[in-house]
Amino acid sequence: MDYRQKIIDSTVEIFTSMIMMEVESIDRKVEEHSHLQHSISGVVGLAGAFKGVLAVHLPKELAMQITSSFLGMDVEEINEDVEDAVGEIANMLGGDVKGLLTSSGSDIDLSLPSTISGEKYEFQAKKNAATYIVPFKCGSEEFTVELQIEK
Amino acid sequence: MGKNVLLVDDSSTMRKIIGRSLRQAGIDFDNIFEASDGLEALAVLESEKVDIVLSDINMPNMDGISFLREKANRPGIKNIPVLMISTETGDDIIGEAKSLGAVGAIKKPFTPDKVEEVLGPLL
Repeated sequence: MDYRQKIIDSTVEIFTSMIMMEVESIDRKVEEHSHLQHSISGVVGLAGAFKGVLAVHLPKELAMQITSSFLGMDVEEINEDVEDAVGEIANMLGGDVKGLLTSSGSDIDLSLPSTISGEKYEFQAKKNAATYIVPFKCGSEEFTVELQIEK
Repeated sequence: MGKNVLLVDDSSTMRKIIGRSLRQAGIDFDNIFEASDGLEALAVLESEKVDIVLSDINMPNMDGISFLREKANRPGIKNIPVLMISTETGDDIIGEAKSLGAVGAIKKPFTPDKVEEVLGPLL
């Protein structure tokens, strides 16, 4: 199953149809994250027939731009609106991945989205998980979408 | 007399986007009520005149499926139509929603055109 292409397709669809911002995937292989800096991550968990995590890691500046576009208003700090918007992006990506993994949808549960943010933090891969990290470019900023599925 | 809609989603961002999509689709409501979960939605339905509900499925406190089940047991509100707007697209869960009275479903992400296509005929 081509998880990377599905991540690209889903991310582009979400950004173009709902956020009204253009994104393109970057043809660069990312094996693992170094420390995330000045970033915010939206995270949803997968449980049931497939266990794993779907996360979108955004620089804070880009997260604020996305939220501004989402809401049609200026956002100048990381606040509840930004956390909510980033969580919702992760939620939509998680829903698409869930649909990819199972057609019925009944044997995978998606957690409610959560967010992590900070000046410097780690998002570690589980030891027994296959990890797919896809980098994207949006304007002058880059961000990544990460899928971990336990083997 | 105009119509009123209730938007049910735990994400305030998503509620705003749905409201914006309604306007972009040219669908005007007199009042747009909001609720962040099924429990709040039931309270709004019991106290306000609502013509149609647009509801998420995955929510804290009371999710969209439990909301449909509880609403179906309340004679005063059970006939108000509910359209699901969710990341959930599996046949099983959408089928369960429809068996509990949901009139249709829109998958997130969506466009204003999709909202108009699905919601328009229901109004």
